[in-house]
Amino acid sequence: MDQSEIDALLAGGGKGPKKGKAKAETPAVQAAPASTTHPAPVTPIPETAPQRDKGGHVIAEIDTVTAVTERESNKVMDQLDQIGQLVGRQQQLITELMKHSGSQDEGVQKALHEIMTAGKGIQDKVFDAMDLMQFQDITRQKLERIVNHLRQIHDYIIDLLGTGEKSEARPMSLSRTIATTGTTPDENKAHADSVIEAFKQKKD
Amino acid sequence: MKILVVDDSSTMRRIIINTLGRIGYSDVVEAEHGKGGLEKLGQGGVEMIITDWNMPEMDGLEFVKTVRGQNPGIPILMVTTNAAKEDIVEALQAGVNNYVVKPFTPETLKEKIESLLG
Repeated sequence: MDQSEIDALLAGGGKGPKKGKAKAETPAVQAAPASTTHPAPVTPIPETAPQRDKGGHVIAEIDTVTAVTERESNKVMDQLDQIGQLVGRQQQLITELMKHSGSQDEGVQKALHEIMTAGKGIQDKVFDAMDLMQFQDITRQKLERIVNHLRQIHDYIIDLLGTGEKSEARPMSLSRTIATTGTTPDENKAHADSVIEAFKQKKD
Repeated sequence: MKILVVDDSSTMRRIIINTLGRIGYSDVVEAEHGKGGLEKLGQGGVEMIITDWNMPEMDGLEFVKTVRGQNPGIPILMVTTNAAKEDIVEALQAGVNNYVVKPFTPETLKEKIESLLG
């Protein structure tokens, strides 16, 4: 997030975050092996300025936060991709070096194997870090539910007062509840699997 | 095998596509919502679908119901934050073959994909 975006958020109005840069940098569609993956398309950040009379500027600010967070998360993913690719390149170079006649000494070979193992460890950690980025989507969906509640309260007050404009409702399905949304990977796996199993047994 | 990944979060699509790449599935097409998913599906070649539930335009449940009307046999895995029992049952009734609750581990995604393809 740059200063202009921070200023826009603090002011509750003014210009929204810059649009399009992340998208322009992320053209890939096809998947590739993890070490060579390219950035994926990023959902554009809406340029609509927060408006007090269209559902309240707090709602618009939260919308902006979710959009900016997604864009920044993609930048982190880009960096992790690059680290993975660099480690992959390092592994290739070491493999070539190991074939070289000058590196056949037992001590050198052992050291090179240790470097390879360390490189594999780095790649595993990079993948773990990528997986942990799921929190961004989960947080976004929680915020969307909060925004939905705020819209309902806003519209209720408008009805009550008989003046003002209602929020611009957006067609978007939301999770039934965020109370059951987990934060730890596979936290709900056993529960989901038991429901699936019961459903299949009932069907049979 | 070509896999279609449908999720409105670009971060989540990347995570799923990365995981697929690590377990040997690198032929992937992606879409941001159900409508986009139907377009990709119409282009042919997709043999499996991984879809989110909560999306704009057309949500995952409607997408699954539409796909099932056209293609009863294609394996569909739903990957979503919706963890309530009622949600899981509703998705299964709509035609989802298996269900993963976010956040997930790569091992779980692999296990579910293999169970669908096995």
